[in-house]
Amino acid sequence: MPATGPSYDLILHRLASSDCEIKLKAIRELKNQIIGNRTKKLSYIKLGAVPVLAAVLADADADSASGPSLIVQSAAALGSFACGVDAGVRAVLDAGAFPHLSKLLSASDDKVVDAAARSLRMIYQSKLAPKYDFFKEQDMGFLLSLLKNGNENLTGLGASIIIHSCQTSDEQNVLCCAGALENLISLLDGSLSQRDSSLESIAAILKNNPEVVSKFVDLQNRRALSSIIELTKDRYSRTRLLACLCLIYVQNSSSCYLQDTGTKTKLINILLELLDDSDHVGDNACFAFSTLVAEREDVQKLAFEANAIDKFNNHLQNCALHPKRLEGIFLALAALCSKLECSRSKFLSLQVLNILVDALAYDDANVRTAACICLKSVSRSVKNLSAGYFMNERIIASLVRLLSDLSTSVQVAALGAISNIVINFTPQKSRFMQCGGIKELVQLTKSMDSSLRLNAVWALRNMVFLADKMCKERIFMELTVSSVASLICGNGLHCQFLFFLINWCVPKKVIIVPKKVIIDSGYTADPEPSVQEQALALVRNLVDGCIDCVEYAFAEDGIILDAVGKQLQKSSKIDIGIQKNGDGMVPEPLHE
Amino acid sequence: MPVRVLENTAPSQVSGANSGRSSGQSCSLLGVGQAFSGTQNVSSVQKDEAWRVNVRIQGCDLEHGYLCGTMEALNVPMADTPVVTFWEGEIVDTKNYTFFTGKWEATPEDDIRHWSKFPSFSPLLVQVEVDGGKSLDLSNYPYIFMRWKEQYFVNVGTDCGLTIAGFYYICFSCSDGSISGFYYDPNSSPYQKLELKSTNDGRSGFSFSSYELQ
Repeated sequence: MPATGPSYDLILHRLASSDCEIKLKAIRELKNQIIGNRTKKLSYIKLGAVPVLAAVLADADADSASGPSLIVQSAAALGSFACGVDAGVRAVLDAGAFPHLSKLLSASDDKVVDAAARSLRMIYQSKLAPKYDFFKEQDMGFLLSLLKNGNENLTGLGASIIIHSCQTSDEQNVLCCAGALENLISLLDGSLSQRDSSLESIAAILKNNPEVVSKFVDLQNRRALSSIIELTKDRYSRTRLLACLCLIYVQNSSSCYLQDTGTKTKLINILLELLDDSDHVGDNACFAFSTLVAEREDVQKLAFEANAIDKFNNHLQNCALHPKRLEGIFLALAALCSKLECSRSKFLSLQVLNILVDALAYDDANVRTAACICLKSVSRSVKNLSAGYFMNERIIASLVRLLSDLSTSVQVAALGAISNIVINFTPQKSRFMQCGGIKELVQLTKSMDSSLRLNAVWALRNMVFLADKMCKERIFMELTVSSVASLICGNGLHCQFLFFLINWCVPKKVIIVPKKVIIDSGYTADPEPSVQEQALALVRNLVDGCIDCVEYAFAEDGIILDAVGKQLQKSSKIDIGIQKNGDGMVPEPLHE
Repeated sequence: MPVRVLENTAPSQVSGANSGRSSGQSCSLLGVGQAFSGTQNVSSVQKDEAWRVNVRIQGCDLEHGYLCGTMEALNVPMADTPVVTFWEGEIVDTKNYTFFTGKWEATPEDDIRHWSKFPSFSPLLVQVEVDGGKSLDLSNYPYIFMRWKEQYFVNVGTDCGLTIAGFYYICFSCSDGSISGFYYDPNSSPYQKLELKSTNDGRSGFSFSSYELQ
């Protein structure tokens, strides 16, 4: 029979007691109840326990007999509320405890300092924590003093602050210049906790910053880099993962730092091994893997040779995967298949496609987005598109459904996959039309979100490529002439414009030879040039073909043609020689 | 895609593909969407036969020396419908690929024998014999040499009576977009000649429609 503690009401009543002993006991009781218990934390938050604790912390007299204990216990309880529960962090911040906790870091009592540091560390693990200002000299000095301190809780807090607040390249640069990297590297020899938090902080400072990476590599005659390479062999999986992450950022900033193919292969193998870790380490290993291989054909090749696709597939066969893991695996597979045809072939041969299509209807929006990104990557293959692998009702219907998803990220990712899949090189696009895809795409061309507009127009442009007359007519009717004209407005689109003119003029027996295109020195960029570029390409594809197709450009008094001309006039001067073409003359192919 | 038979006939004499010199412009006619039509001669000692052939380029990645598309063979005697295959091409750019095939059962001797069928290859022969053409700069050469390998049947099964085991040695003329080719498969009639001309495919001229993968 479990022991039952005092009720919520009783504890809250005792917290308000003027008797310090009763108050202290109540705080201890409350703290013990909420540790690791999310439900109880939420209940106490609702009952208003956090402001009471914050008041105890603020009012306690450190010099009194019970003062230090009250401070330590209330700080610990507040930290516990903030641990892993955003509502708790919000309550602690709203109660004004944060400045009090910060102030206590300078207390003379080590126990008080420890408790405050631990509590602040919990708060800094949440995105809701206030951003630390690295640009204030005083704050930077304080941060460095935390990192240099012998107290593990203080160094841990310093690392947590960097992990939380170092986000921009300016912040990375200022931390690097202030010597934070040197301090963090010295912590690599400390306890497990110090080592891991130090590695995570170093990763935050190196991420996507070639300048800082370059300085880091040169630190201590590359000894810092060697230490991190050594830590990829550590017995603790989290340490191995974080060391790999640092090396990935080093490798991604310039291929000259880790030229040895063996190091890249080792990174791949370590991350693949970490997939077997069932907790966060395994989940994060998937994301780290996709960062390692993304956009790098050489690394993708090594990963392919290491049977990475088979390994991710094996994990996918596990039905009980956590959404985070599922998302990570799809992103890793997407990165693996982004450049190499052999990876795409392998993917398709393993029948992963069925699991992927199921994931398009997953509850978690991040999983749906990742599944779409993976499908986009796998369908970047003319060979597979031409074979019609993706033009089946199950895939198309699922993707079309996602066009009206509540999450914009899902919509954009679905549009990306659709953009590829509709290029199936057959003139008929009936399956996509039957699923109501055109209507949805056209609707999204009118979205307020420019990324949705861009991708929707892009999908339509690809769909019209070599499409038959019926498909073109359907799209043109749905889109309307005025919409097409309104999408075409912008500058810097000379090439698209010229090709459009060529497609329009050739059937009319007119040759247009562009002699030169002079861009105005007063060039003003259009806010959405990418959308207009795709819109012009769409029109190019629409008018490409028989004479009937050319008529699209003249519909409603030629407002499309007018829109193209007007916008081009704004941005450039063009010298076009127009020459009547005699019957039977073949226009010369133009130089691109 | 010839019929699946083994024949031992003497190599046929072929005429030159194209003699015109181009001004150095290259790929406007080798772009995605471009169509070609012509014939493939599948004559043997027993019969004189040629199929009508349509080709369309579907993908082009010059950086990797890659080209792909479909080939449609019409009036194929044993097929009820036109037979469409998907092919992938290696562009001999001397960076990604040289004149030596190094696979598909083609020896350097087979390569040189086939490439030499193209008159435009003769100025390159001496160097190709030395290093496969590795040291040649073909960036402004008025002809583009390629190998096209059919990968799968698009609209029929593998039991259609045709084979895609071999590959084509291809020579593309940049000046007029004409294509000459010779099919190579140790198990098929040798030197089956492919002759294609660029077509406007129902248009009154050339045009530049395009797609962009994401």
